[in-house]
Amino acid sequence: MKVSKVFNQINNSYLKLLIWVFFLSILSASFHQCTQDYSSTLPKKVDFNFHVKPILVQKCFLCHGPDPSSREGDLRLDTFEGATALLEEGRKAIDPGHPGKSEVVKRINYDDPNLVMPPPESNLELSQYEIDILTKWIDQGAEWKPHWSFIPPKITEPEKFNNSVNEIDDYIEEKIVSKKLNNAPTAGKNSLIRRVSYLLTGLPPTPKKLNNYLADSSANAYEKMVDHYLNDEAFGERWARHWMDITRYAETKGHEFDYSISGAWQYRDYLIRAFNEDVPYDQLVKEQIAGDLLDTVRWNPENGMNESQLGTIFYTLGEGKHSPVDIKKEEVDRIDNIIDVTTKAFQGLTVSCAKCHDHKFDPVPTSDYYSLYGIFESTRISPQPTNVTYHQQKDIDAISALKDSIKIFLASKWENQKFPLSSELKQMSNEVSESSDFEILGDFRGANLDGWKSDGLAFGKRTTLGNPVFGKNSQLTNLSTGKASSKTFGPGIFGALRSPDFIIEKDFIGVKALGKKAIVRIIIDNFQLIQDPIYGGLTKKVEADEWTDLKFNVAAWKGHKAYVEIIPGQYNKHVYQLPKEAFVEAKYIIAFNGDWPQVPTNESFEKPVEMNTALENWAQNSASPEEIRAINQLIATNQFRGNYHQINTYSNKINQLQGQMQDTSFFEGITDGFAINSKIFIRGSHNELSKNVVPRGFLSGIFSKNQFRSEGSGRMELANAIVDPENPLTSRVMVNRIWHYLFGRGLVETVDNFGLQGKLPSHPELLDFLALKFQNEGYSIKQMIKYMVMSQTFRRAVEVPDGNKSNDPDNLYLANFPIRRLESEAIRDALLMVAGNLDETMYGAPVPVYLTPFMQGRGRPYRSGPMDGNGRRSIYLEVRRNFLQPMMLTFDRPIPFSTFGKRNVTNVPAQSLILMNDPFVEAQAGLLAQEIVNEKNLDIDEKIDVIYLRTLSRNAKSEEKEQAKVFIQSLAKNAEIPEQELLENTAIWKAYCHSIFNLKEFIYLI
Amino acid sequence: MTNRNHATGRPISRREMLGLCKGGFGSLAFVSLFGALPISCSKKAESKLFSQIPGNIPHYAPKAKNVIFLYMDGGVSQVDSFDPKPRLEKENGEDPNKKFKVDDTQFGNVGKILKSPWKFKNYGECGMPVSELFPHIATCVDDIALVRSMVSDFPEHTNANYFLHTGIGIQGRPSMGAWVTYGLGSENDNLPGYVVLDGGLIPPGGVDNFNSGFLPASHQASILRAGKVPLANINPLEETPGLQNQKLDFIKQIDNSLVGKLKNPDAVESAISNYELAYRMQSSVPELTDFRGETKATKDLYGMNSDDPHTQSYGAQCLLARRLVERGVRFVELTCPQVKADRWDQHSDLKDGHERNAHAVDQPIAGLLKDLKSRGLFEETLVIWTGEFGRTPFAQGTNGRDHNPSAGSMWMAGAGIKGGVIYGKTDDYGYRVIENKVTVHDIHATMLHLLGVNHEKLRFHFGGRDIRLTDVHGNVIKGILS
Repeated sequence: MKVSKVFNQINNSYLKLLIWVFFLSILSASFHQCTQDYSSTLPKKVDFNFHVKPILVQKCFLCHGPDPSSREGDLRLDTFEGATALLEEGRKAIDPGHPGKSEVVKRINYDDPNLVMPPPESNLELSQYEIDILTKWIDQGAEWKPHWSFIPPKITEPEKFNNSVNEIDDYIEEKIVSKKLNNAPTAGKNSLIRRVSYLLTGLPPTPKKLNNYLADSSANAYEKMVDHYLNDEAFGERWARHWMDITRYAETKGHEFDYSISGAWQYRDYLIRAFNEDVPYDQLVKEQIAGDLLDTVRWNPENGMNESQLGTIFYTLGEGKHSPVDIKKEEVDRIDNIIDVTTKAFQGLTVSCAKCHDHKFDPVPTSDYYSLYGIFESTRISPQPTNVTYHQQKDIDAISALKDSIKIFLASKWENQKFPLSSELKQMSNEVSESSDFEILGDFRGANLDGWKSDGLAFGKRTTLGNPVFGKNSQLTNLSTGKASSKTFGPGIFGALRSPDFIIEKDFIGVKALGKKAIVRIIIDNFQLIQDPIYGGLTKKVEADEWTDLKFNVAAWKGHKAYVEIIPGQYNKHVYQLPKEAFVEAKYIIAFNGDWPQVPTNESFEKPVEMNTALENWAQNSASPEEIRAINQLIATNQFRGNYHQINTYSNKINQLQGQMQDTSFFEGITDGFAINSKIFIRGSHNELSKNVVPRGFLSGIFSKNQFRSEGSGRMELANAIVDPENPLTSRVMVNRIWHYLFGRGLVETVDNFGLQGKLPSHPELLDFLALKFQNEGYSIKQMIKYMVMSQTFRRAVEVPDGNKSNDPDNLYLANFPIRRLESEAIRDALLMVAGNLDETMYGAPVPVYLTPFMQGRGRPYRSGPMDGNGRRSIYLEVRRNFLQPMMLTFDRPIPFSTFGKRNVTNVPAQSLILMNDPFVEAQAGLLAQEIVNEKNLDIDEKIDVIYLRTLSRNAKSEEKEQAKVFIQSLAKNAEIPEQELLENTAIWKAYCHSIFNLKEFIYLI
Repeated sequence: MTNRNHATGRPISRREMLGLCKGGFGSLAFVSLFGALPISCSKKAESKLFSQIPGNIPHYAPKAKNVIFLYMDGGVSQVDSFDPKPRLEKENGEDPNKKFKVDDTQFGNVGKILKSPWKFKNYGECGMPVSELFPHIATCVDDIALVRSMVSDFPEHTNANYFLHTGIGIQGRPSMGAWVTYGLGSENDNLPGYVVLDGGLIPPGGVDNFNSGFLPASHQASILRAGKVPLANINPLEETPGLQNQKLDFIKQIDNSLVGKLKNPDAVESAISNYELAYRMQSSVPELTDFRGETKATKDLYGMNSDDPHTQSYGAQCLLARRLVERGVRFVELTCPQVKADRWDQHSDLKDGHERNAHAVDQPIAGLLKDLKSRGLFEETLVIWTGEFGRTPFAQGTNGRDHNPSAGSMWMAGAGIKGGVIYGKTDDYGYRVIENKVTVHDIHATMLHLLGVNHEKLRFHFGGRDIRLTDVHGNVIKGILS
């Protein structure tokens, strides 16, 4: 540093040149020193991960790393085998224990620009320190290790120190001592409660809580205060917002018209509840990845709602475009975003870098990307009802059981009767037409759903075949023929019937259906935003009492992957709705060319029906269509006699249960499709595929257990692989995130990147300790937060102790608590709170975004939301991708397109302009002023104190009061307001409060 | 210095940076908070800490200091403006499917081959053909390098807009203006380095076309609008001008004692100096938009006396653009005015819509080019005129044209550009490029090149890799450089 300062002060360029030559000669002299005589600044034992690898990654791997496509000279230095292989010249690049025999050592010491490594044209060069590190490491045996974060964490016991509260302090103190730093004293109580309150709840402490804490002199006063904020419901609002940065939370899809993501806010509420209830982290991971597939659902104890499934909204928070000209590319982009967010969020890995080529730095081959791709390609998007409750599931089960009872009852009555021989029953002719060019995609005339997925509850697990149909007075009229029906358990229940994936090969798809307010859609390449101009024909309304032929022209998409979706209810601007009376029924689905073909019956005529067997099968839900037809003939001819009044009890009960269920609120969720193993896209192009598919799996380059074989997507296996206790990343990544949110910087600064390009941990042993503790104590996030907040390290004052600046200019070793600016939400929420304008209502649909004249463009909502967001906390304000709130953006809330575990902290004039001139801020100052003026029994000093307590969580110092009074009086004088009216003048106090909002202390955690 | 914490590579503090840059560049004025600290400065200060950004900026002597980006939102039809195709006249009304392979289109409503409703004439010494749509721009062709071979990766507006503005067709990446100020900073302490003049139409994709993405927020565009409040929150709300000053003095007094107590923390000090800058902007922005000092002749040149209110308003925007580059603002983008027929996106009624849009922008753009020349600003300003893609030579329905990412015309003029040149070629229908294809990445690379920046070296580390405006693509269009 000094050198450059001196250097910069010299203006004569010739002199500069001379000095450079001088320094260079000193430097080059040191190149030729004996390499065995290591400087004392080198570590005693050179560690591959912490000392050598950073050099290799930055300076060597671009040409000698894991990516074969950019490898030079057939040499790779990322593996032991590669680096120690015999070179052409008979030497080894690295000869462990023998720096003198290692080609690497020779090449990095060359002066000749044609031979030196790295080559000059790479713009990279090694410092002497780096050369020494490499040499000493080879000298010590050149031990390779897997990347540090891929090695399981292990405990390294720290030395115990006197002033430690817990182990964190021991680990921290170790470095403090070795770096010769001085610890800052414990922060004052005012600072501590403000710090804890903001970091745990995102709000400043109220004056009342502040005073309680100041007055509490008990030994555990701090812990009580911490517990209070941990149990405050505002805690969930703060920590949910952190997680929303990680999962690119937004409520619209962006692009041209910014369509809504239906029910996205349910995910926000889900997170708030989960953080408040301290749902274990491993459970949260599983719910977000596979909440729809869990064996044990987490039911909301208050309303019986299925919480687990809400987690899967995680997948639908991305962008979406209507009318993509290349429909496949739309799917590719969507899945790419999911892979990107999933791997960054839970594993701190940047797997999407491997979309086009093997990862340049991490052991992630392209095939690993496509093994994840298959998982998400096999995952389908589906509306899901929010209010599926534990009870609803029970009711459905009860209805099924009652229906079975009816069949068993009737069958037992009928079995004792005499029947005509089946040959006497009228045979139907077999009308098979030969000609037609068609193929059956689904046939529901039999008993089962022909391999289709029945999602939700409406369609049940089988067709209607053989269900008793009652007329007036509970008179049995017939048994139902086979069809898929969404009203098996009554109308108004959500369900969707979806075919297996198929490749479109014929011009048309036909669906034989009837229903009300229902739709059938052809989903091509998982594309959902079906509308004109291109895709409008892929959805058809079902509005018919009689069987109708729905004909879809899909000739334009031959060769594409597709499935058919049959669903009661409709989409309005891509938001799913289910009217009470909606239902849909379907007989069969075909693909065909030309005219609608004659579809043959599915009944068998090979042998006559034997009636007792038929009844027996019927009672067990396994009767064939021809058996049901035979039974129906007997019913029609009144050949069954007997009193069926007993079944009234059953059917009444069924009616009663059916009336109780209706799904009204939905979110855009996911559901499992059929397993698809993807091919590799050559150089990332979906138009150029590899020959073979790659099996679904998880990061074969890092984890050993990796092939998924499930019939569905494999998301459950993915979730399990992530929460596997053997996974070295999951816990480390999460405790590091928590640390980052509390201390302002992670132990690993690159919180979303634990790969080779990420930063190394400042305290690796502490990170491992915390990761194992987190795991061993049941993944409790609250417990981990409390543990960190209780440490002495967390409680230190922000003032930098003398002498530390030079040894630790960035405060990496935490001798003092880092000063930090509050986040956009905390600033806005604090303004509302101190002004007495905060509406603490939790949850619910978002408050529409306030639209300034600068927020223009397609998709702009017709109406603006309120300027102050109705006083609601920022987390409840709408997040429209194309109309993001300027105040949030300006104070660095990230644009929601990828994982942002760490926000930028910028310093731009727009921030000052907001606090100075934004009408919202000014209005809050006015409200606070009004409250202050209304406190009629307070004198000027006391009024100032109230403002300080509310905004800065402390009393004003005497000189601050003097300054304030001078300021207020001069304002009064300029406005010609007499002294005695000053205390009642709102304008004056507003100007003062507005000024306080503009103090740095108001937006910084001091 | 090199031994210091290579594992964490701490960013250098603002104070140190200012100190270093002062010596390195000899002028603090170059360092503006709007462009934050330009790499050109930070590089000098501490090259090892920014090792992901190889090379010094400028990488070579810049031709251009500023860029004015005239965005023709919606996509101008090339065969109706700068790329005449006699064959369309001959085959008007015939089935395009019988002539060439027709790609999928945005509306899938492919009509017949459609001749241009406008006549072309050759202009200037170079004899460049221009249609009747642009009689004023036609008088400037000797200063214009026309590219007839522009292609895009996307046929949809939003993706194509993001692609043109950020080099990637999805939301969230830094806009080219942000990259430019990130690389070069601003030359004006009182104005932002990247300004968007909102003429009335924000392109599909919204203001995210102008965002800083993962670059620091200081690089995002400031959006200026015509009217009483040209920039968000720029006008003080205080009823008397003295009141704000009093408040700011008071705030500074209290803030300073905090700084003293905390022993000069960088972050807090920077936040304080931000207020000074914000305060100066409050006067510099109104001064900027105050045209009283401009002569009638100048205003007339820009078409501000036109009967067409859209010509007037776009003229004012063009004049404002000149005033911005005059003041050292690096990157100025103009969006289109909202004429009756919406943007240049004529899926139907091509004649009416293109005429309205052309009439609004033609005279102001020609006025801008001439005014820049007469003031000596032309040699240091790069003017870029382009839409996000071209349009189809066949009709959509009967009288519109659909999106065509396979060919479009764009032009550049000013600093480092060879005038009177026609670069690239399309087929006989103007449907596809057959010679010297120019991608969006090439446009970016060329723009950066003229600013003295090697597009392969302007990088930012995000999401596990070094990211460039040009991704892994881009070639400087040598054929249009002077």
